[in-house]
Amino acid sequence: MKTLPWEYGVRNLFRRPTRTALTLVGLTTVILLIFVVVAFIRGLEASLAASGDEDVVLVYALSSGADIENSSIPARTPALLAASLDGIQRRFDVQHISPEVYLGTRITVAGTDKKGLGLVRGVTTAAPLVRSKMQIVEGEWPGPGEVLAGKLAHSKLGCREEALSVGSTVTFDGREWRISGRFTAAGSAFESELWCPLQDMQTALKRQDLSLVAVKMAPGGSLADVEMFCSERLDLELKAVPEAQYYASLQQHYKPVRLLGWVVVWLIAGAGVFAGLNTMYGAVVGRVRELSTLQAMGFRRRAITMSLIQEAVLLSVGGSLIAALVAFLLVNGTAVRFTMGAFALRVDSLAVVIGCGTGLVLGLLGAVPPAMKAMRVTVVEGIKAV
Amino acid sequence: MTLVQVKNVTKQYANGEETITPLNEVNLEVHQGDFLSLMGASGSGKSTLLNMIAGIDEVTSGEILVEGTDITKLSRGKLADWRASHVGYIFQTHNLIPVLTAYENVEMPLLLLKMSAAERRKRVEIALEAVNLTDRATHYPRQMSGGQEQRVGIARAIVASPTLVVADEPTGNLDDETTEQILELLQRVNNELGMTLLMVTHDIEASEIAKRQIRLERGKLTERQAGSAKSTVTAA
Repeated sequence: MKTLPWEYGVRNLFRRPTRTALTLVGLTTVILLIFVVVAFIRGLEASLAASGDEDVVLVYALSSGADIENSSIPARTPALLAASLDGIQRRFDVQHISPEVYLGTRITVAGTDKKGLGLVRGVTTAAPLVRSKMQIVEGEWPGPGEVLAGKLAHSKLGCREEALSVGSTVTFDGREWRISGRFTAAGSAFESELWCPLQDMQTALKRQDLSLVAVKMAPGGSLADVEMFCSERLDLELKAVPEAQYYASLQQHYKPVRLLGWVVVWLIAGAGVFAGLNTMYGAVVGRVRELSTLQAMGFRRRAITMSLIQEAVLLSVGGSLIAALVAFLLVNGTAVRFTMGAFALRVDSLAVVIGCGTGLVLGLLGAVPPAMKAMRVTVVEGIKAV
Repeated sequence: MTLVQVKNVTKQYANGEETITPLNEVNLEVHQGDFLSLMGASGSGKSTLLNMIAGIDEVTSGEILVEGTDITKLSRGKLADWRASHVGYIFQTHNLIPVLTAYENVEMPLLLLKMSAAERRKRVEIALEAVNLTDRATHYPRQMSGGQEQRVGIARAIVASPTLVVADEPTGNLDDETTEQILELLQRVNNELGMTLLMVTHDIEASEIAKRQIRLERGKLTERQAGSAKSTVTAA
């Protein structure tokens, strides 16, 4: 089958520049919206997935349900765990056990009157041993009266990034805290937190207890040992949950959000198809005579249909590329607040495949029905069409 | 040599409950090198006959043999291929592709044939020269007059050296002066290039340049020999 020249399809796009430009803008907007929604879902998934470490077991109060924030366990728990369990990771005679207080509280950033809901974790120097993805990227470990700010903490607090620069101050629980440094944690939920010395936090909160103990197991160490400890020490009322499982359960919690995201993707794509169909119907209806002339010359219907599809696909590919570029430049990495902290929108390879793939499908679906309709007109009728 | 044989061709349309028969058991023979004009009143079926011979309309019954091939038996795809190599169509409304230049419009039919780019270029140049439009090769249809557009249409119809050139009211949209030029050009296509032409027209003067003049009335053909008033029924 002889196809129509490539230039024919390309030049047809410039036949009505305004309509082509408007269609391109419409398609780009639709595809960009799809990029944003997919980047949201991927960012949320990545944040929760990165937060769980397979080797870490969280020990917290049996009565707190699935929420660590409400957990309260005795301060002696870390020492009892260290004394009772053999399978805990140990290096240079230091056991990787991190006692922590975890709290959601109102935080005021210096220079603003507004109080933002932030997440604060009281930690010891053992925390980085257990949270191995944590890395200080600026400043230093917090001393008394100081906090370490996560990379996305500003987003959670709803302030500018500069407001949490090293040397700035934040106020919570009646005390002013100086920011000693900033840290990253491989895109995990920790990045939206403020970390301060455990003892300072307990003093500020007038608390003696802990929220949880995070234990890093050595190779060969077993969760069963920690569970056994919890079940034997009924007086402590503890439970042990692998950290990965804890965040996986949170993922389940956000399943409706993700599902809604995918529904939005489908709705946007559906709207895009109708917009594309409308444009292509308009473009094809005005060209019935031309298309019939091509048939009279000897071009087969399939060749003409392919040329019409080529036009629509060229446009949708253009829209996809522009949308991908805008998504990379403006959407990727944008911080979004959610109840558990904050996460960065993620335009990864899957988002590109879904965004550009949807664009391509929009082009195809938008072109095929109008092309088929145009091909149903007989050549004799078509060559005399106005 | 007989090029086209139309044998007992009938064409019927359904118009609501009524059946219209513009062509009823029509027979016609067209010979190699003929220039044949088809005349008749509006709705007499002259364009329908032309379109059936050109392979873009279907017969209700009968046969149309072109160089021995019964084109009524060809599938839609095969018929498209057949048209590409056997028919050059000149339209009343020129029907040029607006996004292509005169050169590219003329080149289009050649893209359907196995031919090198150099051969294509040579043929397009010859065709444009034949219609005296070499200097307009890079112009788009919107940049040309109606007469120039029709000359490009003629160049496009003859460029592939088809077995048959068909023209449906080729001067229908043109002024008198341009009509004269186009008719002269069609005569040259027939006389100098030796191409067989079938032309539908309602213009008596236009029809008189043809070697054979056929009239279609009440579904039947009658032939008037050039220069005489003799009428013949062209039953094969």
